[in-house]
Order: sequence, then C-alpha cells, then structure tokens
Amino acid sequence: MSACAGTRRFTRLLALAALVFGAAGCANVPSGGQVLSGRPAERAERVDDPYVRLIPVKPRPGWGPAEIVSGFLAASASFDDGHKVAKMYLGGQTSWNPGLRPSVTVLASRVTDPHVVKATADQATVRITGEELGTITADGQYTASPRELDATFQLAKTPQGVWRITGLPGDEKSGLLLTKDDVERAMRTVNLFFFAPDRHTLVPNGIFLPVANREALPTQLVQALLAGPTSWLAGAVDSAFPKGTRLRRSVQIDKDVAIVDLSKEARGGDIDRMSAQLSWTMRQLSEIKQWRLRIDGETVAPDDMDATQFVSAWDGNSPDGQMPDDGVHQSAYVVGPSGFLGNLQDDRAQPVVTGLAGRLSRPAVAPGYEEVAGLSADASQVLLAAPVTGAPTLHVLLTAHKGARFTAPSWSHDGTLWVVESRKDASWLWVRRPGKAPVRAAHWGLGGREVLAFRVARDGVRAAVIARVDDRPQVQLGRIVRGPGDSLDVGSFLPVSSELQDAVDLAWRDYGTLAVLGRAKRDSQTLPFLMPISGSAITSLGVGSLGEPRTIAAAPGAPILIGTRSSGRDQICRQRSPSNSYSPWICPTPGKDPGYPR
Amino acid sequence: MRTGMRGPKRFARRGLGAVRRVLRGAVGAVYLRWRRSIQLRVVTSTLFISAIVVAILGAFLMQQVSSALMDGKVKAARLQLDDGLAQVQRDLGNSTGDGSRLNSTIDRLKSRSGPSGLYEVYIRDTTEQYFDGYTTNELRQESVPKRLRQELKNAPAGSRAYTYGKLSYIGGRPDERGLIVGGRTGQFELYYLFPLTQEQQTLTNVSRSLAGVGIVLVLLLAAIASLVTRQVVIPVRLAAQGAQRLAAGRLEERMRVRGEDDLARLARSFNDMAANLQEKIGELEDLSQVQRQFVSDVSHELRTPLTTIRIAADMLYEYRDTFDDPAVGRSAELLQSQLERFESLLADLLEISRHDAGAATLDAESLDMRDLVLRVVGDIQGLSERKGSKVVLQLPGEPCMAEVDRRRVERILRNLLVNAVEHGEGEDIIISVAADRDAVAVAVRDHGVGLKPGEGQMVFDRFWRADPARARTTGGTGLGLSISREDAQLHGGWLQAWGEPGAGSQFRLSLPRVAGAELRGSPLPLVPPGAGDARPLFAELEAGE
Repeated sequence: MSACAGTRRFTRLLALAALVFGAAGCANVPSGGQVLSGRPAERAERVDDPYVRLIPVKPRPGWGPAEIVSGFLAASASFDDGHKVAKMYLGGQTSWNPGLRPSVTVLASRVTDPHVVKATADQATVRITGEELGTITADGQYTASPRELDATFQLAKTPQGVWRITGLPGDEKSGLLLTKDDVERAMRTVNLFFFAPDRHTLVPNGIFLPVANREALPTQLVQALLAGPTSWLAGAVDSAFPKGTRLRRSVQIDKDVAIVDLSKEARGGDIDRMSAQLSWTMRQLSEIKQWRLRIDGETVAPDDMDATQFVSAWDGNSPDGQMPDDGVHQSAYVVGPSGFLGNLQDDRAQPVVTGLAGRLSRPAVAPGYEEVAGLSADASQVLLAAPVTGAPTLHVLLTAHKGARFTAPSWSHDGTLWVVESRKDASWLWVRRPGKAPVRAAHWGLGGREVLAFRVARDGVRAAVIARVDDRPQVQLGRIVRGPGDSLDVGSFLPVSSELQDAVDLAWRDYGTLAVLGRAKRDSQTLPFLMPISGSAITSLGVGSLGEPRTIAAAPGAPILIGTRSSGRDQICRQRSPSNSYSPWICPTPGKDPGYPR
Repeated sequence: MRTGMRGPKRFARRGLGAVRRVLRGAVGAVYLRWRRSIQLRVVTSTLFISAIVVAILGAFLMQQVSSALMDGKVKAARLQLDDGLAQVQRDLGNSTGDGSRLNSTIDRLKSRSGPSGLYEVYIRDTTEQYFDGYTTNELRQESVPKRLRQELKNAPAGSRAYTYGKLSYIGGRPDERGLIVGGRTGQFELYYLFPLTQEQQTLTNVSRSLAGVGIVLVLLLAAIASLVTRQVVIPVRLAAQGAQRLAAGRLEERMRVRGEDDLARLARSFNDMAANLQEKIGELEDLSQVQRQFVSDVSHELRTPLTTIRIAADMLYEYRDTFDDPAVGRSAELLQSQLERFESLLADLLEISRHDAGAATLDAESLDMRDLVLRVVGDIQGLSERKGSKVVLQLPGEPCMAEVDRRRVERILRNLLVNAVEHGEGEDIIISVAADRDAVAVAVRDHGVGLKPGEGQMVFDRFWRADPARARTTGGTGLGLSISREDAQLHGGWLQAWGEPGAGSQFRLSLPRVAGAELRGSPLPLVPPGAGDARPLFAELEAGE
C-alpha cells in the first residue's frame, strides 16, 4: 500500500519536473524551424520619402545688420510653424507671411557676403548678391531664369537695441530667397492631375510643394489640386472641380483610408471626374490606399463604385492612355534590313508593309493602325501611307522649305499627326487632324529655334522637344492649348533638365518620364537616359556598348528600343531584361527606326 | 408647504438610516463569518500574501524584461551611431563642411528614418552660426535634451553618450518616449533618436499578460487553500459537533472513522474518550441512584417504627404529670419535642429525595402572589410577635398573577419568613412583591446579623448552619432552604440570597409568570435599595443557573 503511494508520488514529481523543463525550453529563442516567407515592404513613393528639415536659430542679441540678414536667409528655409523663427528677424510692422505655398527665388548657393552699404546709428541697408537660377511661383511652377541677383534689405534698430529687418527686397508679398539645396530639401515635386481637352485623359501638372509636415501633406496636395493648374498648363487643361470648391477640413487619414471633405460648391461637379483627379493625385502618397469623398459632410460615391474608393481605381483615365493588359504590350514597328516596315516579334521583324522598300524612314504608325507616316530619306518630305499592310499607296503630305528638314512625325492619341519643320534659325509646327489637310499651328513657341525632335505626350497636352538653345540641344517641355476654333497654341517651353549637354532623340516612356538619347555632362558617348519630367536626376539606362545610337522608342510597360548604327550596320537594341534598368543592351535585330504606335 | 419640504427630507433620512443599518448588518455578518470560519481566514490570508508575492515577482520580472529590452536597444543604437559618425567623418572629414556637403550627408543618413524607419537623425555643425543643423522628418530639435548636449560638449572628442527623453514633433504628432544617442566627430554633433513606441508596446503587452497570469495564480492559490482547509476543517467541524452533542448529554454520540490519517486518529481517540466517559458516567449514575434509593428506603423504613414510637411517646407525654419523678416528666417532654423534630427531618429527607429522584411534580395553578404572601404572613404572625419583629408588607396595588404550585411556593415563603424572623434579631422584616411582564418576585429582607462573604451560596447547602455553635434545638432541619431552592428551580425560577455582616440579608424569589418559561430577569433587585454599596455581591451568582 505505502509502496504504491510512494510510486505515485514519484510519478507526480517526475511529471512536474518535465513540465518545468518544458516551460523553460519554451522561453528560448528558436534555433530551427520552418522557413517563413514574406513580401517586401511596398516601396514608398518619393513624395513621402524621409525628408530633412533645417533647424533655424533665433536672432542673437549681438548680431549686426549683415548677420541678421544672413540669419534671416537661413531661417527662411525652415517652414516650421509658419516661418515662426524667420519672422523674429523682422521688425514689428512687416507683414511678411510666405505661407505654405510661397513664391521662391532659387539661388545657386548660399549668400555668403551680405554687406552693409549704408548705415546710421539706427538704420542700415544691406545688399546681397548671388546667382539666381530661377523662380517658383506661388502656384508651384518652376521657371528657370538664370541671372544675377542683387537685392537690398532695410534694417532698423528696435527700441530694445537690436537690429531687425524692416524692408525686404521687392515688396512684402515677395517670397523666399532659398538656395537650390534648400529647395531640394524643403520642397517636393508632386503631380496634380487635370483633364485634357478630350475630358477623359488626365494630364499631370508637376508643382513644387513645401514639405512642412508629413501629416499636412495630403491636405496641401488636395488644396493645390483644388487651386487649379499652374499658369503653365492653365488653359490647356481643365479641372472637374467647380469654381470656389474648398476643403471643408483637412484630409483625415485613418488606417490607409483618407477622407476628403469638399465644400458644397463641389455639388455642381461631376463626381466621377473629381474622383479620378483626386485618386490620381493622392496615389502619390503611400499612406493613402483608399479614400472617401464627402461633399459638405455627406459621403458621395461615383457610379458603380463603393463610397470607399481605391486610389488605384480610375486607371482608365491614365495619362498614358489605356494601359495594355498585364504582360501583353504593344509590339514595335521597325524598318527592316531590306527597307520593309515590319512588326517586331521575338526579336524578329515580321514584314507588314513591303511595298515601300527603302522609301520610308522614321515611320510612325498611327494609334489606330490605319495610317503610317514617315520621312523621306533626306527628311525633306513627310510621307503618309495607308493602309498599314501589303503595298499601300504613298503620298507626300508636306515638303520642306529649302534648307529645312522635318523631325520624326509624332501621332497623338486622337489620330492627329504632328511634325516640326526646322531650319537652323526657325521652325514651324505642322498639324494634321485626321482626314484633313495639314495646317501650321497658329502659335508656335519655338519659332526662332532649331528643333531636333518633337514628341506629343500620350495625354495630347504636353509636348517634349529637343531644341537647340545657345548652340546646345536641350530637352524642353511645352503644352498645347486648343483655342477657339481649331487654333492651336503650342508653347511655354521650359527646360526639363540641364544634366545633358547633347540630345539626339527622345520618346515618352510614360507620363512622367522621357527616354532620351543624349550625352551627359562628363560623357563622350551618346547613351540612353531616363529623364523624369519633374526635373529630378536623370538615370542612365543599361550597360554595354551601343555603337552610335540614333533613334529611341519607348512605351509604358514595353521595352525601350534603340536604333543604332555600329560598324556600318543598322541594329535595333533592347535590354536583356527590360524590367531591370541596369540590364545590359543586346542588339539581336537588324533594322532601324523603331517606334511604338501608341 | 412645510410638510412638503420635510417629507422628502425625512424620507431621505429614513433611507439613509436603512442603508446604514443594512451596511452595519453586512459588516457584522462578515465579521461574524470571519470570527467563525477558519476557511475564510485561511483563504483571505492566502489571497493577501500570494497577491503581495505575485506583485513583487511581477515587478521584478517587468524590471528584468524592460532592462533587457533597453540594453538591446542601446546596443543597436550605439552601433548605428558609430556607423553614422563614420559616415560623417568620411564625408566631411575635419574640414569646414559647407552647407551643401552637410546637406548631402544628412540626405544619406536619413534614408532609414521616419515613421516607417527606426530612428530620426539630428546633425549639427558647431561652427555654423546661422542655423542649428538639420533634423529628419517632423522631429523637433528640442527633442535632444540639453543635458545630453552639455555632456557631449564637455566630453573629449569622439565620445558618445546616451539618455532617454521625450521626442517631440511639429504638427499634430504626439510626443513619444525615446532613446537618444549622440556622438561628436570634429565639429559635428550627430544624434540618433529612437522612438521607443515598439518597446513600450511590448512592455505593455508583457505587463498585461503578467497581470493576467498573476491574478489567475492568486485565485488558483486561494482555491487550493480553500480546498485544503475544507478537507481539514470538515472533520474538525464534525468533531466539534460531536463534542457539542456529547456535552449536551448525548453520550452515545460517535464520530465516523474514515481512512488512516491524522483525522481518523482524532476520530478514534474521540470515540474512545466518549466511550470511557459514557461508561464512567453510567457507573456514577448507578451509584447515586443506589444512594438515593437507600436514603429514600431508609426514610420509609424509619417511618413505621417511628409511628409506633410516636404513639408511645404521645401516651407518655399525656401522662407526664402522673409520673412521680418530675425528671421523668421532663424526659417525656423532651422525647416529644425531639420526636417532632425527627418527624419533620424525615419528611424533609423524603421530600429532598423525591427531588433528587426527579419525582417531584409541579401542580401549577394561576394565583395571586399577594394572597400567598398574606396567608404565610398570617401563619407566622405569632412567631414574629414572639420574637418581637414587625412584618412590613410592600405589596403592589394590582394582582400579581403567576402559574405556581401553591403548596411549594407557600413552603418557600414560610421557610424564608421563619428564617428571617429567627435571624432578624427582633428588627423589622420587610416583604416586597413585584411583577413585570414575564416574572413575579418576592423579596424578604431582615436586619439581622447578615451573611459573610461566600455564605450567600452556602445557605442553600444541605444541613448548613449560619452558626455551628448554635444548638440544633432551635433551628429547623437544615434542609429547608435546599428544598426551597429545589422548589424554585422546579418552577423555572430563582432563589437567591444577599447579605452583609451587620446589614442583614435579603432572599429573593423570582418566578416566571408562566410555569416552565425561561426567566430572563427579576422585577426586584437582589440587593435592597440603600443597603448595597459598590461591592459586587457574591450572592449575585445566579443560583438558578
């Protein structure tokens, strides 16, 4: 009996010990086990990348006028609390308030030598000089205007015996004097989206927006969108928001869902189109995945959609036009080795139009595939052929003036053909609407310059050109305003980037990026580059020798093709793996002048 | 109007009173429960002590976890800082970095900062006078505490320091606690600020789980204590009940013996004890039964010869004058008186043996106590006159009805009165009668020699005498008060004595109005008013108990 009890007690003890050791084992870090896989964190968009803020210092009591001006210039780069610190440098009467959408004069570098030009016991004038690169207007549009800056500040001594600024250069509405570094640090380029005249395609409008506070960024963005396009695009695009629409309160974000509450004026607008504009604008912020539209506090939903929309909806309004289905991209047209117009399939040019052997260079197939335009061999004639098969008839559309030549023809998505006739000192833009005779654009902004390339963006509102400025080819971006009647205003060309010293050809990769064949400042060879429209740094594309690249073709989701000439042979090159921008170039196809129809 | 005002107030006061009563009742019940239940006490103290222990353990564990977490964080932060300082040194060296170079350096350092990243960075060029360096994202420069900056300022170049502080941000973002590490290389100060929200979250989770586990543990311990005490307390309770029944006279009571443990041993010893007790008590009962029977038998047996002797003695007494020798006549007188004493002694013995045998019965009828008193006083009027005592009556105006046995109560009263007259030294004898709702009382007060301390009980002993030297000739049988007390107890009443040397004595008879009802108090004081001083009285010992 007692032996039995003893055994039982022993068993219990053993069980307890096992339990204790088991529990102790649980507290260890695992040393093995199954493999767990995860997805990479979604790459944040550039707009809300980490940013850096400058910490201003308050004016010190012992500072003289020159130091006060230096301190003010440094402090005005800080947007914290509505320029609170910078305002401390100002005298009591000054009502300087740049706000969150200031106008900015961009300087090349910090002003290091403010010097006092006139000083009495309690009044002083300080002059600064520097190199001005350009200006950003209050609506966020940057305009390059390189010139010398020469500005004066008026200072006075306050009754407390410290110097304060009483007069700013220009007037009190004048904005900030910031260096290029300050602008890059404190401001972001963001796109606002507006509708092209076809009322369907969206057009991005890049603006500079100060990043004062990440949480206020969505509100700032939507307010900028409601304020309308910048002066550059005004007239060329329209906004679905009725005049006077405001945000009733700041954009609230709760777990990836943003709530945009518009004032009652928005009732007059088309909800679908407003939603498309807001979706495209807000999808630049990674923290917004879905959003909800309210008008005067009342949630509204677009047709056939939930009230909570995904920012990735409205792909049909893409500035790139209708995106092709996943993985299936349009095939390019090339001029084959024997001069036929071929369709590029699996690195082989399948002849499509064979009857025009050798007579059509730089062919461009219309987006509807019903016509093909091209140049004659010496680029003095614009040729047009239809249909795009077999042996169509070819007729001359335009013949150039003496000494002039045409740029490669460019189709916009509505079937309009655009081509620039250019001489050393002049150029003209010819526009041919479908089924009509070509006419000259009423207003052409580059009339006095030589234009090397002209490509209309897929949204039909913007046009990228390579124009010779100061004997240097420069990539510029202009916009197309359709006036009353059929009059066209193509102008307001602004340089996109100053990083290339030479450019040969360009193509629209997507709505925000150009593929450019050019030469970077320290290069000796012409290479392909991706050039963001926003003006950020260009990136070179691929590695490996390309010979002498001449033409470039690009389309959203499709590989970039380069027509090159190396050792006397025309070749068409592509990247081995198009999705990887560092993938090496291979040239498997003989041929030249590649181009995508859309 | 006034009543209207007063009504709610009164109502409220009444309600408050009710609540207070209920509360007091509840507290009283809990206190009673606490006093009576070992289980409750054990469980409560287990709860209390284990809660303290678990709380201490929990605090210790939290301390450990938190310091381990912080150690890891500090280590990682210092590595990050070293990395950052190396980067700064590489980029800027010891040369005067112009704004753009500092700018590009912080651009590189910021890449992992921000809400999705791990930390914020603050870099500062100590030679720059127009701005105070750069921070990443919304971080305010005030987040770097002054003490850390001071420490770094005074420390030799290349040193690092860290502290904890609050990270504040511009905009609406709330402050967070954070770890701040800083280092200096050349003219540059570099700070990394690590928000500790994740760690705080972890600690909160751990502390919540610990608290949950602790509560469960404490409850478990209490449940275990409750179970264990239950297992011990129930047998003890049964034993207590058994002992109680045993004490109440149920000698056949036994405990159930189960198993072989300590409690089973207790039960067995208890049962043995009970058996022994029962046996011994039985023996004693038998013995006293035999004795009582003997006394009774002896009394009876003595009666028959006594009757004969009595007849003879009566005859002798009748003819005492005819004897020649006057001495013989005297003897006949003596014989006669002693025979009378003998007879009354025998009668008393028989009466008391009847009480001892439990054969005495109550023949109760409803009577007015005043009538009884008056009758007895009338009976002893002659005696009192002989002794020179005056009997003073203090009777209430209304009847004092009670269910009593007339014969017994008269016997008691006569006994008391005779005693009072005999010991009254010729002083007044006061008889008071009183009644209340439940009881009636008669007190007989004399002003004789009184009683010595301790005699208040002894007067009721059989054959006890106040003065042993006094001849047995004068007194009664010495059984009178014993029988009186037995009679009083038969009614469920009390017979008590008070006395003080020189101050006389008082005997009080208290009887319930309804025969057999329990007596709770007496309508008359035991100590006569005016006589009793502060001395507590020996006679207060409740004779009836």
